[in-house]
Amino acid sequence: MSLKKISFFLNGEAKDVYANPGDMLVDVIRDKLGLLGTKVGCKTGGCGACTVMLDGLAVNSCMIPVGKVAGKSVVTIEGVAENNELHPIQEAMMEDGAVQCGYCTPGIIVSAKALFDENPNPDSEDIHRALEGNICRCTGYIKVEEAIVKAASNIRKEG
Amino acid sequence: MNDYKSIGKRVMRRDAREKVLGEAKFTCDVYLPGMLHAKVLRSTLPHARIKSIDTTKAEALPGVRAVLTYKNTIDTLYNQAAALMEIAEGQTLVMDQKIFDNVVRFVGDEVAAVAADTVEIAEAAIKLIDVEYEPLPFYIDPLDAEKQDTVNIHADKLHLQSAHNVPGDPSHIKKGDIEKGFAESDEIVEVKFKIAPVKQMQMETHSAVASLEDDRITVYCSTQNVQVVRGQLAHIFKIPMSRITVKNPPYVGGGFGIRIGLSGKAEVIAIALALAAKKPVKYIYSRKEDLIASETRHGGYVSVRLGAKKDGTLTALEMKSILNKGAYTSHGGAIHGTLGVMNTSLYRIPNIDYYGYSVYTNTTPAGAMRGYGNPQGNMTVNRAVDMMAKRLGIDPLEMRRKNATGKGDEYMLPYPCTSSTLAGCMELGAKEIHWDKRAEYNLEKGRVRRGMGMGIGTHFSGGHPFVLDYENAFITVQADGSVSVATAASDIGTGCNTSLAQIAAEALNVPLKKVYLTYADTSSTPYGYGSHSSRSVFMHGNAIVEAAKNVKAQILEYAASLAGIESSDLEIVDGIIRTIDSSRRFPKNIYARRIFLDQEFTPLGDEEFYSSITFTELAHYAHSQEKQFMGLGSINNTNAPPWYCSFADVSVDMDTGRITLNNFVGVHDVGTVINPDCVEGQINGGNLQGIGYALGEALTYDERTGIQYVNEIQQYMQPTIMGTPDMGAYYVEEKEPNGPFGAKGLGETPCISPVAAIVNAVCNALDIDDDDIKVPLTPQVVLDMIKKNS
Repeated sequence: MSLKKISFFLNGEAKDVYANPGDMLVDVIRDKLGLLGTKVGCKTGGCGACTVMLDGLAVNSCMIPVGKVAGKSVVTIEGVAENNELHPIQEAMMEDGAVQCGYCTPGIIVSAKALFDENPNPDSEDIHRALEGNICRCTGYIKVEEAIVKAASNIRKEG
Repeated sequence: MNDYKSIGKRVMRRDAREKVLGEAKFTCDVYLPGMLHAKVLRSTLPHARIKSIDTTKAEALPGVRAVLTYKNTIDTLYNQAAALMEIAEGQTLVMDQKIFDNVVRFVGDEVAAVAADTVEIAEAAIKLIDVEYEPLPFYIDPLDAEKQDTVNIHADKLHLQSAHNVPGDPSHIKKGDIEKGFAESDEIVEVKFKIAPVKQMQMETHSAVASLEDDRITVYCSTQNVQVVRGQLAHIFKIPMSRITVKNPPYVGGGFGIRIGLSGKAEVIAIALALAAKKPVKYIYSRKEDLIASETRHGGYVSVRLGAKKDGTLTALEMKSILNKGAYTSHGGAIHGTLGVMNTSLYRIPNIDYYGYSVYTNTTPAGAMRGYGNPQGNMTVNRAVDMMAKRLGIDPLEMRRKNATGKGDEYMLPYPCTSSTLAGCMELGAKEIHWDKRAEYNLEKGRVRRGMGMGIGTHFSGGHPFVLDYENAFITVQADGSVSVATAASDIGTGCNTSLAQIAAEALNVPLKKVYLTYADTSSTPYGYGSHSSRSVFMHGNAIVEAAKNVKAQILEYAASLAGIESSDLEIVDGIIRTIDSSRRFPKNIYARRIFLDQEFTPLGDEEFYSSITFTELAHYAHSQEKQFMGLGSINNTNAPPWYCSFADVSVDMDTGRITLNNFVGVHDVGTVINPDCVEGQINGGNLQGIGYALGEALTYDERTGIQYVNEIQQYMQPTIMGTPDMGAYYVEEKEPNGPFGAKGLGETPCISPVAAIVNAVCNALDIDDDDIKVPLTPQVVLDMIKKNS
């Protein structure tokens, strides 16, 4: 297997990595690029802990071969807060007690950001659809949903 | 309820910021220089002897640094549960595991391990190991394995079995005269449950990174109790505990009981490989390994016979449990013991007989999961109480008002019922679920039937006296007046790293921001049992309160000596030591040194004496006199019963068997609430785990091959946000006299009684008295119930 140079945008910055195009994006992000916020929960696309945004869409980075992201934009949890300023969903998750063990938290935040970017005024069904792929075993999703509703409201106020 | 400054406040969790930024470090995030990666070869057969094993091709693969099998690995017998460090004098410790053995006892049992430069090389090497097995008979069901004509799954350890394939001791709980109790009753109901095993499904799989420095071992891992693991590793590897450091890094992606003690074999395999390769080794379970080869909740059979008089007075309770132990003992007898003792204690019943045991089978080992045997008995007893209520024409809520155990009552638990707000919890729950609509809903006889059910329960706040359970804490006041608290808790998501700091701040009466907690690290904390058994706040909190008393006495004594008064003339308020009568006693010279300028200082004037001194000033003056305040707190011999109730409002589709939860309410007596956000989070998460247990979660086996059907997360039916019903989390507070500021256990309780509430609600909706219930209530199970009872 020969390594290929693959170029893409990671959290707004141009990156070149040398990788096997078949390597999964999550492994490249974690092991080659050293961004450890994206978590591995299953490697079968079934838990959402590894969620990143690929050209604006929330995807499971354990299911995306890195060769497929050439030329595209990837946003990980490390890219959600901009200019040292927390995203409203990060603020709301902190304030509302929506963070427990924290292992699923990065994936949930990225899924929520992808939702807000697309639809700043989500209803309950939109939230459920956007978060359905994110398994959380600690919170029962109650405070997570409250935080998303609150963040949406704050985004609308700011916007 | 109180005028506390830190306790009871919605304080933001201390780890929240790191966690929302993706900066929180878990074991998978530990990368050490030169670190190798481990992979494990697992048995493909449920029971077999290894005839031959050839690792030469794997060893020859470039990049492979160590290959281990039973032939070249230390073969200490052990038990991966905390039992190894918890068994009290006189109890039987069953040690029936080795890192590798020449017999495999379930599909997924460890056969060999490889450490290599990359994960890919390790994976390739595993495939190059040739194993020849001699298959042995295998058993999936405990009712089969306990038959005398079956093969013994641990034939070389018969001395540890109380009956054929029954490890350890059975539990037998008796009170009064059971036959007399039934003879005195007017009605008797009987019910039996067949309960599927389920998984914790914590989001972080078992993980460990081990490294060596000379004769010292350091292991980062996902355990719930680092000090216990240190003891286990010392036993297994024959290395002094003082040479081993075990730590969480410090975060753990959930626990729910799955790593009370070792994180499966993550630590032992990482260490064994590190010792062989002389390099750091990382071993992270795949989700498939988590599903097939890390411990489950016990499935099995529980039956209840309950007698009552016409007026609803309960006279006799007979209960029996036969649980599926799986291939290794792990928590063993403590599970069926908990099942029995908790569920013979819920109701005031004069005549009781419980008999329970667990049977080895060739399935994934069953260990601890949130509730620890309690839910399996809870659903059965609470179902029987509802059946009896229906038989007698009494409302189930009324039946519980009449019979539920209350404060001061005698019960079967080995610690007194020192507090209970269960009665208040039931009233609040009934109001929130609109219990008064139950009779009305029950009149609907169309395709969709609606019903309500409830269940009540109790539990423990730590292991005493079932097992060893004591706890320690250090508090050190640093030279700048900040307060360092050290205790061996793990924060597996409960928020104890915040609530324990709140307890310390309150106990010392200092601002919360001055208190810092060190935890989950054997090298900087005293011995203790970590986070399980709903004990973190209760036991670590109690130890911290004791340490705070100790250090506070030192502070006041020292301050009093400077002021020339008695320590009883002084008090601490918000981090300031002051004379109670406001007299000016502290001489100006002790305020002289001013560094740490961001801390609090007393405004000084021309006076020679002052009435107060800040923590910073006093600690720094003591430092200048070569003195530090260090408190030690130890606690043992204590426990307290939390109480709770669950209420479910369900609709059942008679054509599809599908259950819809219209509403779910959990109400808890946790004593004093330390942090409402943490308490509500525990209740919500536990409720949903209990709901999943009731409605769909299950592990199943192919009876012909012994292979687990569920080996991907997508095959396991844990609830998603889509399947989450409206849930309410409530509590009714009362100070528990034995708890820190009146708090008691909560971690496990929210997932214990939901199944009871849902099963009762479904039977209510269907208007049936099914005496043979299968859990989970999948649509097929519900359709069968409808058919059977029509």
